Amino acid sequence: MTDFRRLTGVFMAAVGLILSAPHASAQQPDRGDEPGLVADDGYELDPEWQKQVVYFRTTEVPGTIIISTAERHLYLVQPGGRAIRYGIGVGRDGFQWQGLLNIANKKEWPDWTPPPEMIQRQPYLPRFMAGGPGNPLGARAMYLGTTVYRIHGTNRPDTIGTKVSSGCFRLVNRDVADLYDRVPVGTKVVVRQKPEL
Amino acid sequence: MMRTFRGGLLIGLAVAVLVGVLAVIYEFYDTRTLKRTVRRGEVLCGVNKGLPGFSIPDDKGNWTGFDVDFCRAVASAIFNDPGKAKFVPLDASERFKELQSRKVDILSRNSTWSMARELDYDLYFPAVAYYDGAGFMLPRSRNKETSLDLTGSKICVQAGTTTALNVADYFRANNMKYEEVKFDKLDEVVKAYDTAKCDTLSADVSQLYALRLNLSKPGDQMILPDMISKEPLAPVVRQRDDDWMMIVKWTLYAMINAEELGVTSENIDEALKSKKPEVMRLVGTEGNYGEQLGLTKDWVVRIIRHVGNYGEMYERNIGEKSKLKIPRGMNQLWNAGGVQYAPPVR
Repeated sequence: MTDFRRLTGVFMAAVGLILSAPHASAQQPDRGDEPGLVADDGYELDPEWQKQVVYFRTTEVPGTIIISTAERHLYLVQPGGRAIRYGIGVGRDGFQWQGLLNIANKKEWPDWTPPPEMIQRQPYLPRFMAGGPGNPLGARAMYLGTTVYRIHGTNRPDTIGTKVSSGCFRLVNRDVADLYDRVPVGTKVVVRQKPEL
Repeated sequence: MMRTFRGGLLIGLAVAVLVGVLAVIYEFYDTRTLKRTVRRGEVLCGVNKGLPGFSIPDDKGNWTGFDVDFCRAVASAIFNDPGKAKFVPLDASERFKELQSRKVDILSRNSTWSMARELDYDLYFPAVAYYDGAGFMLPRSRNKETSLDLTGSKICVQAGTTTALNVADYFRANNMKYEEVKFDKLDEVVKAYDTAKCDTLSADVSQLYALRLNLSKPGDQMILPDMISKEPLAPVVRQRDDDWMMIVKWTLYAMINAEELGVTSENIDEALKSKKPEVMRLVGTEGNYGEQLGLTKDWVVRIIRHVGNYGEMYERNIGEKSKLKIPRGMNQLWNAGGVQYAPPVR
């Protein structure tokens, strides 16, 4: 039994090492999460990531959120074949997913409790961080079903348009506040990923 | 004996010469474009003389653009070499006649598909490469979200264009008022807008994005997502030349299908190992669609390797990562918010 436990321990450590290896060998620290950094609200996004109304044909009802991971865009469906499009940051390779969920909860200036998997991968992260301008979740958070994933703000506006997160979707604080006021709890969220070969 | 032998020889010779002459005449008048193209060793593409994002040469004569890349895709499918596309700049007024008279094999020149054009010139538009239409540009500060909010606008348009007529129809149909500010030349229209002689500019949406680049404050301008007319831009070929038409049509559809299936110029080697039936049919690891077209099994692989899928071609030349920055809009795939829809390779 002890042998088995020891073996399991060794195995877990090995897995941990493998998982943390890319971070250890990376030239720069993880770009996505920089707890404590206060967001630069004056940061100007590239036109591609700026909030704008676009042509968008869909059978989903107005008010639905459709997230395209490959495009790094979040669409809020509007009547008349259009949508409000926001630029987003998405999960790193291997941290992307797809599915159908609902917004289960909404919070302003949310506190951050990184889930255990995230702590294991990025041990330097705090165990808890109170909401505020230095919080990586930014100004607002919308909880996706019962998952650990959120649509949230950010203190790193420069990461919009990139693959950066552990599976969450981030918008600049200005945009996430705008979206937050437009969508109630219960809003349908469709997450679409690039097709697999 | 000798006489009949000589006579036979003469007759034989005459027959040989006749066959030779007929063969030459037949070759000369052979209307099958694919055959002529293969023998020539290059595809002759009629293109616009200079339209940023669609087809424009640099000072060394290297062509770039969406229309140019489509022609390179056709050349890649046939010759496995995008360099085998030769570009022939054509004026708008002469383009259809030049195609009709076989000066070019294909017109890839921002041409709107319409019934009259197919009928009048005996031509065929195989598939829509880019959905365009008349739209509006206005200062961001006007804070409008749809063209239905434009009542009371002062709209600059080029006189004598279909745009001017479309604007008139649209405002009448929606019971809205506007003031038309007309100019004969496009430069004058743009200058008038830039100096606030009008508060709205109307032209085809793809053109509005190009015109915006030359305004004094491009960042302060917005282009509404609405289109008030249908301008489907498509490549053009001659009628009654089905083998060639099929190649042009399915080259475009292969590129759209590739995007839908996630096949790109970067992962094409992985795609060749795919076990997904749709991907296998597309890249030729299953079926013989390429051979049936008169090409090779790997025709799509050649297209994707050299030019990329539809989305790659779009983004590189006119998309939000290019200078023009035209959002995909209607040209997004049918399952991602747009209307680009290709029949399946099946």
